[in-house]
Amino acid sequence: MDLSRRGFLQAAALTAAASGLTVACGGSSGSGGTKNGKDLTLWYWGGALSDKVVAEAKTHFSSTVKLTSASIGGDFKQKLTTTIAAGTSVPDITGIKGEDIASFLPNADRFLDLNDLGFKKISSQYLDWKTKLAQTKDGKQIGFPIDIGPTALFYREDLFAKAGVDTEPAKVAALVKTWEDYFQLGTELQKKNPGTYLVNNIGAMFDMTVGQGTARFIDKNNHFIGDQDHIRAAWTTSVRPYTLGLDAKINDNTWNAAVGKTLLTELGAAWHALDIEQAAPGTKGKWRVCAMPGGPANQGGSYLALPRQCRNPEEAFKIISWILSPANDARGFTDAAIFPAAPAAYSMPAMTGPDAFFGGQKIIEVFGPAAKTVPSAYEAPADAAVMAPYKTELTNIEAKGKKPDDAWKDAVSQAKQIARRQGVS
Amino acid sequence: MTSPPVTGSAEVQRLGGPGPARFRPRRTPPAGTARPRRRGPLSYWRQYLAISPFYLIFAAFSFFPVFYSLYLAFQRWDGMGTMQFVGLQQFRFLWDDPVFWLSIRNTLVIWVLSTVPTLFGALMLATLLHSVRRFKGFYRIALYVPNVTSIVAVAIFFGAVFSNNFGLVNAILGMVGISPVPWLSNPWLIKLVIALLMTWQWTGYNMIIYLAGLQAIPNSIYEAAKMDGAGPIRTFFQITIPIMRPIILFTVIISTINGLQSFSEPQVLFGSNAANANLGGPGQAGLTTLLYFYQSAFLNNDYGYGAAIVWAFFVLIIILVAVNWRITTRGRKA
Repeated sequence: MDLSRRGFLQAAALTAAASGLTVACGGSSGSGGTKNGKDLTLWYWGGALSDKVVAEAKTHFSSTVKLTSASIGGDFKQKLTTTIAAGTSVPDITGIKGEDIASFLPNADRFLDLNDLGFKKISSQYLDWKTKLAQTKDGKQIGFPIDIGPTALFYREDLFAKAGVDTEPAKVAALVKTWEDYFQLGTELQKKNPGTYLVNNIGAMFDMTVGQGTARFIDKNNHFIGDQDHIRAAWTTSVRPYTLGLDAKINDNTWNAAVGKTLLTELGAAWHALDIEQAAPGTKGKWRVCAMPGGPANQGGSYLALPRQCRNPEEAFKIISWILSPANDARGFTDAAIFPAAPAAYSMPAMTGPDAFFGGQKIIEVFGPAAKTVPSAYEAPADAAVMAPYKTELTNIEAKGKKPDDAWKDAVSQAKQIARRQGVS
Repeated sequence: MTSPPVTGSAEVQRLGGPGPARFRPRRTPPAGTARPRRRGPLSYWRQYLAISPFYLIFAAFSFFPVFYSLYLAFQRWDGMGTMQFVGLQQFRFLWDDPVFWLSIRNTLVIWVLSTVPTLFGALMLATLLHSVRRFKGFYRIALYVPNVTSIVAVAIFFGAVFSNNFGLVNAILGMVGISPVPWLSNPWLIKLVIALLMTWQWTGYNMIIYLAGLQAIPNSIYEAAKMDGAGPIRTFFQITIPIMRPIILFTVIISTINGLQSFSEPQVLFGSNAANANLGGPGQAGLTTLLYFYQSAFLNNDYGYGAAIVWAFFVLIIILVAVNWRITTRGRKA
């Protein structure tokens, strides 16, 4: 192979020029100074919004702006953080997951205050506790609620019937008013259905019991309160199924195989219905839903936010308030099992229909009231990081048979360390 | 390819050195001469330009991030807000953090459990393959394929095969009457599965390197050994191993570096862990140091602490490589 020097140098020069050009282009986009841009980009992840509604939004607003949507795969939070830190090619509208919103609040100045754009006037349409979670201490609103995850108790009607227990949702709800009632019922059910378990794992239990409270691991004054009674009580309740032998101890992807077979109940948010349906299609018609013992909690539920670099805030806000209007939000429920954050949607036909997977039960009758009574709790930016060791230790109890008291001590000391690293006093 | 022509040959002539510049004998120009020293590095700009793409990419995506992470190790930063200088505080946290030490222990155990069988297996397979006469190409490809298979796919596959409740291995054990083994929840078995995965993936790679080394040993040496009455085992230990020493040293060091960086394996195997994703499974038994770094930096948004973890780990790798070097070269030549 013979390569002439001139040819080679030309190729090299062209390559260098091309890469320089790319860099230059990358730098210029997104940082335009004008605030009435005609191009808007929307970042979300698969299942965050109804794709149909997004497609309609594009045509609906086509006279004023060109909306481009990108479904971002992988670690969404990580990609958003990097892009915002870099400050270029920032999306004009972005989704933020419910579990990540707290960690974005310290950097609220990277986002536009939606109250300035008119959110204040329509905020009463959305659940107050959900709205508050995307609000800074000084009242800046960075997230527009998309959906929520009110929790309930999913149960196997056929296995309940086999044990001679009432199967009507209202009656089951009355039977399991408290966690203790629930465990008692579980013991009974297990006797009649050998080889089955009441709960999937106790880490998931802990999510629920903590979520039922009005305080979490860090208080508003940035103090660590994860060693106090409310968390201890949630912990003790969560360990009960383990000591009673009602815990299936499933901590890997075998949940998919177990859900149709060995699990009597599932504790989960509204969106969990879809997980069960996909993992165990054969159990169609055998599941029912009722209120969760001890009252509802919330799990997940995302937001839309406008980064500071947004090229046309007014139009962008119009678009998101259109996409998330109660009527369109209700369609999200039909299309993607997104449970709306706007209570007005709960009485719309899209949501009140019977669900064949749940034997024709109108599941909104359970989730609707649950959504409105989810307790409001302050979630600190470091909350998820501080919660992790508790769940790790709960898994240690399950996997290694670690003594619950030792596990509690280790969890608290670990959590304290993480809190200190994250600047919590 | 022809050797690159030397530019500015007229000047080279004037300086009195024929041939490529790098072969010119060094000479100091006589003092007092006004002749400018023109052969500075800048005059080779074309050559530098030609090799620049690699260095530019390397600088932007490897060199800069590496040293930026050193800077980050002394800051507290959530990835977006303002950085706060905290001195050595992150390293003090690190010292007191039992999870960090646990992750180091996990990494070392997994490394030993995977590297030892990998290298022994590779040497054995290479020796066998060296004497094979038929289907050489097939064996080589078959043994090398695991190394080019996507690690994520392999980890998902291993996860399914070793699954506690519904896995293939437990199903087979069940058929012969052995009760299910908790592969993915017992702390030691978790490490064993990860090590097995790495062994499976890296044996072929090392085997190819050993095979190349074996083929470079001239036959005459073996013939001489045979004449002196050495059997195959003695030949292997007294001829093959000593000659292969530099190659073995190379694989030991590469395996040390690779083996200590296990990340994808536990990340994918336990990524669907219901209670805690990215924490290395039950009991954090599969939490390797790099996974802990990833979790701290990218999930907890604690970039400073994450940077401190990797730099502490870097020091550890250096120490281990040095120890390995000493052990493997010991007694080679006084």
